[in-house]
Amino acid sequence: MKKINLFLSLLVLALSTQFNVYAQSTEKTGYKPGDVAIDFKLKNIDGKTVSLSDYSQVKGFIVVFTCNSCPYAIAYEDRIVALDKKYTPKGFHVIAINPNDPAAQPKDSYEAMQVRAKEKAFTFPYLFDDGQKIYPQYGATKTPHVFVLNKEKGKNVVRYIGAIDNNYADANDVTEKFVENAVDALLAQKAVKQPITAAIGCSIKTKK
Amino acid sequence: MKYFFYLITYLFFTACSAKPATELRVLQYEELKSIIEQNDDVLYIVNFWATWCSPCVEELPDFMEVNAEFDKNPKFKMILVSLDNIKELESEVKPFIAKHKIGTNVYLLDDNKRMNEWIRAFHTDWSGSIPATAIYKNGKKLYFVEDKLNKTELKQLINKYL
Repeated sequence: MKKINLFLSLLVLALSTQFNVYAQSTEKTGYKPGDVAIDFKLKNIDGKTVSLSDYSQVKGFIVVFTCNSCPYAIAYEDRIVALDKKYTPKGFHVIAINPNDPAAQPKDSYEAMQVRAKEKAFTFPYLFDDGQKIYPQYGATKTPHVFVLNKEKGKNVVRYIGAIDNNYADANDVTEKFVENAVDALLAQKAVKQPITAAIGCSIKTKK
Repeated sequence: MKYFFYLITYLFFTACSAKPATELRVLQYEELKSIIEQNDDVLYIVNFWATWCSPCVEELPDFMEVNAEFDKNPKFKMILVSLDNIKELESEVKPFIAKHKIGTNVYLLDDNKRMNEWIRAFHTDWSGSIPATAIYKNGKKLYFVEDKLNKTELKQLINKYL
């Protein structure tokens, strides 16, 4: 009996250690292109909750982790609205998520999100990652940080991670439209040529 | 004659106490790379920051304190790489450097359209979030972190690699 107990406790220990290692590594690295993205149920600025599963008959999503306070995110607001206008009719819907903890950045409170969305006439959901449970699973590290999800056999598969384009400072001087290139490729059922890009952004604010 | 003596004394002491002026320069990736990747046995602490980045601004006093502690060592050099918009050089960056008594060279990396190239050239897994800190010696990157560093962590790293 003692032996069985010992065996069981060792097994539990081994499993739990493995689980911990796994949990830590996913938390740190997040999704890679090809991974299936988790659904969420987050509160929108209109008080209702939004999930990916609410959308039927869609081809995919442009999930943008963004916020009110970061100058880079602000620089891209109009371009996010433009993405929604261009791609919603084609089946790709923009969903914006604010990942910041308002305790660390008061400008990113739920109320401030409502104000900003109205000012900028957002045409898409602007969700609050209350409790900061979703952004670590995606592996978002900054704002803005885009994840393009493609519907494949009913699953939301990550096909692009990174920046919107290659010039935050001047929308008129953009020479590479990363997100548009990715979504256009997916609409044409082709592979995304640049599935990952990097751009400077504001780190996601957490209260330590 | 008496005044002349005072003047000489004053000039002498100001000349002695004046530290070499910190350099502020606008540059592009290749030039920055040539500054931090030199075969000169110097340990380069390279901090990527911006005036608008609150966690960056929070960690800078620790960096300045550590710099003051090590900057007499000719084998040590700390560099701040500003990712501010070039348009904010006069209005934000220069006043910030003066106000926060930045004692290191500051290079404003004005290479915004090629971010996707240079961010990943600095470090493959860097998503572009700041603050980030890299450590170089003899052209080799010894360390990279996409997060804040505190004084203790920074000193440990310097002592490890110096």
